[in-house]
Parts: sequence; C-alpha cells; structure tokens
Amino acid sequence: MSRRIAVLAFPGTNSEDETVRILRDCGGDAELVWWSQAEQLAQYDAYVLSGGFAHEDRVRAGAIAALDPMMDAVIDGACAGKLVLGICNGAQILLEAGLVPGTGAVRQPTAAFTKNLPAPHFVCRHVRMRLAIDPARCVITAGLEPGALIPAWAAHTEGRLAAPREHLDEIVAGGHVAFVYAHPDGRVDDGAVPNGSALGCAGLVNRAGNVLAIMPHPERDAWNFNHLARSEGDDVLAPSGGALLFRSFVDAVNV
Amino acid sequence: MTMQKRVVEISLKIPDNTAYTALVALRRLGVDVARVERGELRAFDDGDGALLERVESDETIFNPNIHRVTLRESGAPESGEVWIESLDGTVPTVAWRLFDAGDRAVSGHALRTAVDRLLCNPSIDRAIVGCD
Repeated sequence: MSRRIAVLAFPGTNSEDETVRILRDCGGDAELVWWSQAEQLAQYDAYVLSGGFAHEDRVRAGAIAALDPMMDAVIDGACAGKLVLGICNGAQILLEAGLVPGTGAVRQPTAAFTKNLPAPHFVCRHVRMRLAIDPARCVITAGLEPGALIPAWAAHTEGRLAAPREHLDEIVAGGHVAFVYAHPDGRVDDGAVPNGSALGCAGLVNRAGNVLAIMPHPERDAWNFNHLARSEGDDVLAPSGGALLFRSFVDAVNV
Repeated sequence: MTMQKRVVEISLKIPDNTAYTALVALRRLGVDVARVERGELRAFDDGDGALLERVESDETIFNPNIHRVTLRESGAPESGEVWIESLDGTVPTVAWRLFDAGDRAVSGHALRTAVDRLLCNPSIDRAIVGCD
C-alpha cells in the first residue's frame, strides 16, 4: 500500500495544485491539507511544503508560517524521520523552523533564504539545479544519478542563502548543500546563480538526510507543456526533467 | 557645513496587518503583549532642516494616503522598542514597539522573548533593543 503524502496549504500558498498533481503522476498518494486541518497531519507519512506566500510573508518570508500549528506536526514528523520536502516558500519556512540546515535548535534558524543580490528584486528565470551530494546522503535524492541536473524555475525575491561565515562553514562541513545552481551543460560558476546565493546554493538538506529545502520550482518544469520550445507531435502531458526529483521523493516515501 | 544624519520613521496610518499578525503570533508564543506598532526607519542627511518635507514629497518611499512620517528624536530605540537591522542592508531597518494591557512599554524580558522567538532571525538580522 502506498504511503500518504500531505501537501500543506497555508493561507497564501499558491503552488499546491501542481505539486499534488506531479506527486500523483509519479505514483504518490498525495492530498492537499488545508491550514484548518492541522490536526490531521500527524496521520500522514511525508510532507511537502509548496511555494507561495504563506501568511503573506509577514514579518519575514516563512517566519509566521514556521509558527503555524501545521508546522508542529511537520517538525514532530521530521524529528521522527518522516520525509519533508520544501519548495521555494516551503524552503523558506523550513529554514525559519530550523529544520534545515538543522545546525541549531528547532525554531532557532541558523540561516535564511533572503533578499536576492546584487539587486533585491524578483527573479523569474529557468535554471538547473545540480545535485551536489552523494545521492544517498539525502533519502529524497537517493533515486537520482550522481550530479543529476534538475531543470526548474527560480521565481522568488528572497532566494539567496545567507548566514554568518561560521554557519556557512558548518553548512559546507556538514554536507548540507544538496543542490547548487548550474549551467545547462552542468558547469557550476557564479554566472549560473540567479540570486547571489552563498555557496551557489539552490537547496539544503538536514543532517539526517530526511528534510530537503529547495528554492527553484521543479514542479513548473515537470511536464512537456511547461516548454514553449518542444518538438511537433510531442505528448504535452509526458513528464519532463523536473519530475525526476518527485519520482525519487515518491519512491523514497513508498520504500 | 557638516551634514546631520537624522532618522525618520515611516509607518502606516491605516491598519497594519503585519503588526497585527505579529501580535497574534507573539501572544500564541506566550508573550504578554496587547498592542504592536511597526515602522520603517531610514537615515538621511538633514543639512537644510527640511527633511520631513523632502520625505513627504518622495513618492518612492512615502504615500500620503497610507503613510505617516515622523522625525525620531534620537538614533537609538526607546524603552519597549527594538530595531531590527538587516546585516547586509538589503531591507530597511524596522522598529517594533510592544505595549502591555495598560498601554505601557512591555518589560525588557517580554521584548527580548519577542525578538528571540519571532522578530529577529540572527543569521540575517541584528536586533538593537531599547534600554529598560
């Protein structure tokens, strides 16, 4: 029997439908769980926090959502080893909740995805995330090839990893940088980074390897219809590159 | 002539949903607070003594339909107030003022709890807490 995945919808979440859809397309038993249903969350086996502007990003991106009662179940589940994937605003929430990089106490953030640099503006750009860890280091990426390139859309104003130097050193030493921005050919350099993110970081994993936070949106490059330039006669509903990460996630949940 | 830096606070004169959300969140965290005020702080040179007039005519930071602007007396927070300053200067400094049920400034303990639990992410912010 497949295990149940909750896709959380806070007030202000806006990517939940396509996230549920790609998880189901990859064989996941995914359901939307609204903020008014927080008491149901403990029954689920895994959690996905999708993109948007939870609680309108008041105070700071992800700060209020990290205190939402829904996060009590997510934090308890993460500490018990359940798989948690955060995308964009979901990633910001996981950092504010202290679950990633997880180098401090719960709800004591040691890093943030914050205002882009050099200009603190909204960025909407197609990007590649390159897997920067041994796939097995993170349960969620275990089904990917080493160095896998995942296409996705960066669509954020606050996607730059920032932390004091000593925390960045700890993030590197602990192998927490799961994904870095890369060029389409896989090269990694500053030119591939759309937002000034420290370490070129596109995604962070916690120490135990069961919580992954990524800033770009692979669910927006998960089907052929997401591509303007596609071959004549292509099946528009066929999966595209972003689906790889969700397939790996679903396979890990169902093990 | 020496330019004098002055701090102005731009706050909402319409209901401040962010301040209200912070109030609800802080109360849920057990902080003894009854009212929250919030404003953005900006420091400008005030060589000509006409700083307020210049800010009020700058449409990029001031909208007279929703904002009020005040000249701060000093360059430091008052009792019951904390200034949250971005470490890399990418966002303006925000002043938060917390009041108890008697509309007095909250205790230093309550203010520091609010800072630690919600108002400041120390990896990107610095909190300057007003003296008790």
